[in-house]
Amino acid sequence: MDNTETILGTLDPDVTQQLVSRRAAILHGASVSSRVAAGLAMASVPVALAALATEAGAQSATDVTGVLNFALALEIFENEFYKAVLGVSTSAAQNNAFAPVRAQVPASALPALQQIQKHEAAHVAFLLANGATNSLGLVADSFDFTGNRGGGAGPFARATTELPFLLAVAQGAEDTGVRAYKGQAGNLLANRAVLEAALRIHSVEARHAAKIRRLRRATGAPGVVKYSGTISGGGAAAAGAGNITPAPSAGVVAAFDAIYGGEDTVTEAGKAIASLPNLPAGFDAAAASEAFDEPLSKAQVIAIVQPFFKPTLS
Amino acid sequence: MPSLFAACDDNNTSVTGPSGSATLNLTTDVGILNYAFALEQLEAAFYTAVVGSAAFSGMTAEQKEVMTDLRNHEVAHRELLRAVLGSSAIGDLALSTTAVGTAVASTASILKNAEAFEDLGVSAYNGAGKYLQDAANLLVAGKIVSVEARHAAAIRDLREGLSLAGTPAGTRFAGDDVVNAQGLDVKLEPSAVLTRVAATGIVTSSLSIGTSPTITAPTADAPPPATP
Repeated sequence: MDNTETILGTLDPDVTQQLVSRRAAILHGASVSSRVAAGLAMASVPVALAALATEAGAQSATDVTGVLNFALALEIFENEFYKAVLGVSTSAAQNNAFAPVRAQVPASALPALQQIQKHEAAHVAFLLANGATNSLGLVADSFDFTGNRGGGAGPFARATTELPFLLAVAQGAEDTGVRAYKGQAGNLLANRAVLEAALRIHSVEARHAAKIRRLRRATGAPGVVKYSGTISGGGAAAAGAGNITPAPSAGVVAAFDAIYGGEDTVTEAGKAIASLPNLPAGFDAAAASEAFDEPLSKAQVIAIVQPFFKPTLS
Repeated sequence: MPSLFAACDDNNTSVTGPSGSATLNLTTDVGILNYAFALEQLEAAFYTAVVGSAAFSGMTAEQKEVMTDLRNHEVAHRELLRAVLGSSAIGDLALSTTAVGTAVASTASILKNAEAFEDLGVSAYNGAGKYLQDAANLLVAGKIVSVEARHAAAIRDLREGLSLAGTPAGTRFAGDDVVNAQGLDVKLEPSAVLTRVAATGIVTSSLSIGTSPTITAPTADAPPPATP
């Protein structure tokens, strides 16, 4: 690189164009990920550009079919997870793995988990009937719910033996689903019918997430797990795993940090929420963060869920 | 300037008339976001009245937490939409204090009306999102609708103890009355939503659609049931 080239000049032209328009959008007030904001705040252009490149590149799969296939993979993951928990998976191994925690699920919570699984199965069927393809050939045994790519005994193995841990994982899965759909909605503007369907699935996942939070709060989860079912704050703290004893491992904490990264933003559409007029007394940063859910890019979602998939996601 | 203004054509945008009435042009993002802004005004006014009501003081700690949170969130939604719309925002809707008072007269009526409003909000955003032209505006709507769905689930869950018909025990948060066999949530076109808003008797301003979306609705409405 000679001294007439810029950092942008050394990058792939497609990425460059996305970076330029993305950077323009940010300068005009679009919300940014915390990494990008950190890079900009540090006046570290290479850091900000690197973070922008990740975001820009992650949005390159803009075709509607690609979004449907991605959604299908996530729905199959959720469906097989709940089926294993409930002991109705087609895989005896998966059912057996979750037998210990299944025995701990109170009868009163069973209908909720069954309703959620029913919806995930319905989402799988709907997506398959509306253009999605299970290109990875995902089946019940395609998943390692301990989070070790098929090796078992991964950092999430406690979900198979401890109810509080299981519910925290279910919460994380639902919230990831909400954030994933939200992150893809903009890629569906080319097909309004699909966009509408995606919105109608997205809101169902949010209902699921809220119910799991309420179940957890009713059984000892800390106050950050709101009865309103909303996400308070961000990062690992927003998972509200304080009732899990012993405390989750560093690997699990890192996973929660990724699942809830950026949820603590208190700026929306370039507006600082706390500075808006007519807010009631007592309105705080927690309320501002709860009022709005945040998207995740496809790359961010893949990074979160990949440990649970034996095949490699892309 | 925010991308919202890139989508604004400055002609036939939403008009505010006397007594806070509004005519919405739903072929523009300004019109769609004003539609959402109107709904958030209704919800924020309702929950503000809830928290200030005599019934509130008799609620359980859990119910108080939920109602206070919902008040906070709906006000935030309202004010963000107002700020994003800027000078294109419709005015404050006129509300019937009598109708609001009736709605918050008891914990039972509060929970019933809250459920209706939250499911209506989910229906409205799910039906209107597809009419937005700018991805940035769709994202704003997306950030709000999932929170409304969380609210709906929480309120419905709070009403479990009533053993209401149509939703077996433990399933009401996302009951078969709002989530269909394909796993899809409720959805209403704007005209149907505004009809339901008018039926509450709470909004006395005239809210109407001046120009309908040019895109034909791809699906039939999936309405929330009359709240039991």
